[in-house]
Amino acid sequence: MKKLYVLIVSLMMFVALAVSGCGSATDSKPAAGGTATAPEVKAIQDRGTLKVGVKVDVPKFGFKDPKTGQIDGFEIDLTRALAKKILGDEKKFEAQGVTAKTRGPLLDNGEVDLVIATFTITEERKQSYNFSDPYFTDGVALMVKKDSGITDLKGLADKTIGVAQSATSKKAIQEAADKQGIKVKFLEFGTYPEIKTALDSGRINCFSVDGAILYGYLDDTTVILNDRFTPQEYGVASKKANAGLAKIVNDTINDMKKSGELDKLMQKWGLK
Amino acid sequence: MIKVQGVNKFFGPLHVLKDIHLNVDSGEKVVVIGPSGSGKSTLIRCMNLLETPSTGQIVIDGVDITAPKAPITKVRESVAMVFQQFNLYPHKTVLENLTLAPTLIKKISRDEASESGLAFLERVGLREKADAYPAQLSGGQQQRVAIARALNMRPTVMLFDEPTSALDPEMIQEVLDVMVDLAKEGITMVVVTHEMGFAKQVADQVIFMDGGKILEKGSPEHFFTNPEHDRTKLFLSRILR
Amino acid sequence: MPGPFAGFKWLALMNDWSVFAEGFVQTILLSALGLTLALGLGIFFGLLGTSHVKLFKLLNRVYVEFIQNTPLVIQIFFLYHGLPHLGIMLPVFVVGVLGVGVYHGAYIAEVIRAGVESVPKGQLEAAYSQGFSYWGAMIHIVLPQAKRISYPPLTNQAVNLIKNTSVLAMVAGGELMYHADSWSSNNLYYGPSYVVTGLLYLSLCFPLATYAKRMERKLEVSS
Repeated sequence: MKKLYVLIVSLMMFVALAVSGCGSATDSKPAAGGTATAPEVKAIQDRGTLKVGVKVDVPKFGFKDPKTGQIDGFEIDLTRALAKKILGDEKKFEAQGVTAKTRGPLLDNGEVDLVIATFTITEERKQSYNFSDPYFTDGVALMVKKDSGITDLKGLADKTIGVAQSATSKKAIQEAADKQGIKVKFLEFGTYPEIKTALDSGRINCFSVDGAILYGYLDDTTVILNDRFTPQEYGVASKKANAGLAKIVNDTINDMKKSGELDKLMQKWGLK
Repeated sequence: MIKVQGVNKFFGPLHVLKDIHLNVDSGEKVVVIGPSGSGKSTLIRCMNLLETPSTGQIVIDGVDITAPKAPITKVRESVAMVFQQFNLYPHKTVLENLTLAPTLIKKISRDEASESGLAFLERVGLREKADAYPAQLSGGQQQRVAIARALNMRPTVMLFDEPTSALDPEMIQEVLDVMVDLAKEGITMVVVTHEMGFAKQVADQVIFMDGGKILEKGSPEHFFTNPEHDRTKLFLSRILR
Repeated sequence: MPGPFAGFKWLALMNDWSVFAEGFVQTILLSALGLTLALGLGIFFGLLGTSHVKLFKLLNRVYVEFIQNTPLVIQIFFLYHGLPHLGIMLPVFVVGVLGVGVYHGAYIAEVIRAGVESVPKGQLEAAYSQGFSYWGAMIHIVLPQAKRISYPPLTNQAVNLIKNTSVLAMVAGGELMYHADSWSSNNLYYGPSYVVTGLLYLSLCFPLATYAKRMERKLEVSS
């Protein structure tokens, strides 16, 4: 029996190593940069469609209208611009909903070429993926129930704050709380609607995420406090090996910034 | 000892006991015979409420066991039952089968219950099987253990529901021998059986049932030599072939 | 270049081992209490199911059918998000114990009912004829025999219960899966995170499942 145990464990280890081995084998190929078309970009062009992971539960950024089934938002428009740049047609993309849990694996296994999903750039994450320069910057904000009477972070001392399972906002609030010398507790949830549900049921006293996202969940019973914490910068993520693709994305975003197109999109979605 | 008065029993639309009247005196041995489906098993099962009579009254030792709040578990302590299928507890040894209820229900000490249990095993000739499990015994042996188990409750009434019907022919006699031996004592016995030899040998009163009714009662002499009913004659002629 | 299982991700996990240990302990506690509750409910409702009283039987059916035919996720959601609207705010740990306990209690009730029904009716009658009450007969005569039949499926329920505590991750349950999700969605080192988490669940469930198999084989031999 013990033997079988050891066998199973070593089997799992082996699979793990094999997968990582494969990863490094493909990674070691020289990523074509510069003017020549990189192989991964060529692959997208041959395929004729750009596969993108987007949010489907964040109004104004990436939100799937339950009535029409259409996903739309600022980040979808950004996707259109990138599709146009790479494939010459802004309609040639396939959007797929991602969550904090799935966006990493989907990039790694090639299910999506890019993740454009309110993905905050961090040093830790840069070790695993390529991030473009930020296309949007926003501070972490706090939403509370109106009847709670809470007006600032101090009011949340010893209270529970609900955050998403991609805890850049958790870190930001924690740092601010430490500075003010107060203690707060955190609960992490998989999606934003779950956090809102928890706020409504009173499980948490505060819903905290980047301000622009938070506005999508504002209703009659809730209020967003004025405080903003550590700015969060959103970048377009791609697989680490696909340096050529990353460059095109980055160039496109910087061009859009210069031309004012990015600002226009933000205005269109009421993000500025 | 046992008074059955106007008992009726229905299973849904089936009327299986029809206005049964029966008196069993203390120490009396009563044998109930009749074709299958005549209601004899149901009658004996009513006597310790494994079946509840639909109407009528059964009084045992002055206690109306059919009254709504009858102390039925108390009554059962002194009315023991031996089943066709033995129903020994398979997860207990032979001796544990004998001591379980006396210690738990009658609160007799373990030592005392074991001692009397071994004595009863001796009596049915199975003392050496005390530590065996029921599955290791033959059918005849199991039934003898079941009788010893019933005896170890020190009952005043013993009910036997076709105790030999599930046995291979060569094992029937060993069980009957034990029962005949038992009948020599003052204990009250009600036995449902097809063993006419046993009835002749031990019965004070024989009861013939058919179609849910008691058709005839009487002494064995009357019964086997000069039955009144044609139905009884027919039954006897078939069974005594 | 880093794949999902790159070495530095394993190192990061080893540095944060206490995160996983905390979740692991919570999962064990949750499973132990949940199983206790499930057994209690299972035996109680299982016996109701074997009763001849129509109302008891009905209670058994309502409980078993209702719980077995709705997803555990919904039940947990109701306990966590629904009850507070009715003014009942259960701590998430209690939600977890209640959730998996009630859910697997329904399955255990069926196991117990089947086990009890596999014991011949004559056993109960023999016990009654000796003066046992219903509960006395159940405890001393019927359940010990039902137990032998019920053990392997009961152990399987225990294994499923342990795995199903991971549903609590959805409502920030603080158990192993929650910590694995939390840790890996932050730094995206999901590879090592889920391998280790899987192994930890395996270390709990595999011995139990093996035990169940052995019991099953024993039963086959003995019967």
